[in-house]
Amino acid sequence: MEQPLHLPPSDEELVKMTLQDKSHFGVLVDRYQAKLARYIARLGVRDPEDQMDVLQDIFLKTYRNLNGFDTSLHFSSWIYRIAHNEAISWYRKKNVRPEGHLIGDSEEIIGFLSAKDESADAQFDKTVNAKEVNEALLKIDEKYREVIILRFFEHKDYDEISDILKIPVGSVGTLLHRGKKQLADALNQEAIRI
Amino acid sequence: MNNNQTKNTKPLKETLFERIESERVCPKSRLIFQSKECFVWFFWFLSVVIGALAVAVSLFVVIHHQFAFYEATHNNFFTFMLDVLPYLWILMFLIMVYVAIYNLKHTAHGYRYPVWVILSSSLVLSFAGGSALQLFGFGYTVDKILGDHMDMYVSQEKLEKKMWQDPDDGRLVGKQVFSTLAPTSTIVFEDVAGRRWRMDVSELPVRDLELLATNKTVKLIGKSVNEKVHIFHACGAFPWMMEKDVTLAQMNEERRVFVQRVSEHAKKAKEQLFMTGERSFDSAVLPRQSVCATIAPVRKMPVGDEFGG
Repeated sequence: MEQPLHLPPSDEELVKMTLQDKSHFGVLVDRYQAKLARYIARLGVRDPEDQMDVLQDIFLKTYRNLNGFDTSLHFSSWIYRIAHNEAISWYRKKNVRPEGHLIGDSEEIIGFLSAKDESADAQFDKTVNAKEVNEALLKIDEKYREVIILRFFEHKDYDEISDILKIPVGSVGTLLHRGKKQLADALNQEAIRI
Repeated sequence: MNNNQTKNTKPLKETLFERIESERVCPKSRLIFQSKECFVWFFWFLSVVIGALAVAVSLFVVIHHQFAFYEATHNNFFTFMLDVLPYLWILMFLIMVYVAIYNLKHTAHGYRYPVWVILSSSLVLSFAGGSALQLFGFGYTVDKILGDHMDMYVSQEKLEKKMWQDPDDGRLVGKQVFSTLAPTSTIVFEDVAGRRWRMDVSELPVRDLELLATNKTVKLIGKSVNEKVHIFHACGAFPWMMEKDVTLAQMNEERRVFVQRVSEHAKKAKEQLFMTGERSFDSAVLPRQSVCATIAPVRKMPVGDEFGG
């Protein structure tokens, strides 16, 4: 006899369930802990202890504001928005700039370079490695870096980026376009210097 | 950071639930979020309404002054408009547009729209609302109410009175308070400052005399013959148009009458000059000099044949 297929609850369903019983919030924490840790690391929160602190703040803020979750958004966009704001306020509070390795491994670099539809207008003069991309990312303006990270390293679509950064979808395209140019310039400068 | 935050290897989920328990963290009420959203929309709506009022008053001023007798008060239309534009309302409109954009941007989905879309929508709404309000006379009403109740606020009525109550420059606002039953060339006129003038109306046409006889507020052009004893020579009387029900057609008609009147006086000036030259040697009696031929608007207005004949 065939068993009915039980799909795991969606994030949005889990929000509703958490409002009835807070223990369900643990499932959301499990789903997003690793993703958000990686995202805030890319935004500049590198120290593991700092990451834990920021993650706690993110999840607590999420929990406090569950009733304010706009169901017309993806939960993922909403929690990324909270994470973005917490990371920014963390490094502003600490008065530091993002540093270190914003992206991790060669797999991510390959993913970034293979996004041909997005990078067609960014002409890279040479094969780049993770170290060079990291250094180039640190050189470009913060507003461009945020969009590039979300698009190429978090694989968010334009609508999601718009919802996370609270900017119009058209501006996402513009920022990406300009960011890629800046990144290409920075990468090419790196190449010359190396 | 909070002291409760761990520096150990305890799983995040566990730490979070401990904090939720110990700090008694609860989801905020939905009402808070809904109130915030309502608050933002309310202020957006309010800014659009005030913006529309600002447009209504500005439209009223601009439309009304299209038909102004600016030649009586200013050297040209440009300097006249610089003096009468409602700067306060224009500033208010700009502030309200900014407030509307700010509030719309801070609604739940406001960030999705580019600034130009939000700006245009606010402008279109304010102009549409302002035009509708002006159509029903709200521009005039708001301006008048504020003017009546706030000493500091210079309404268009106050401004118009200020511009027209200037005997030195040949302008008066007021009403006839006394005239003899018999045909007379002198009446008693009380201006808005409460002064009574002995008014020579010998050069006024019947239409103007009839207008004065209604005892309604009028605007006069002429010449102050003797300000100490309050003697004024009237050269034109025009209805006080600063009222809600005055139509554009009426204002246009009055503007036409004003231009015609000034043109007639200008014509007299030309005739006087001609007759003085022709008759200086063969006439025992010089023609009577027209006072109205020398008033300021006659000198300011370029008179064409279409009015002056």
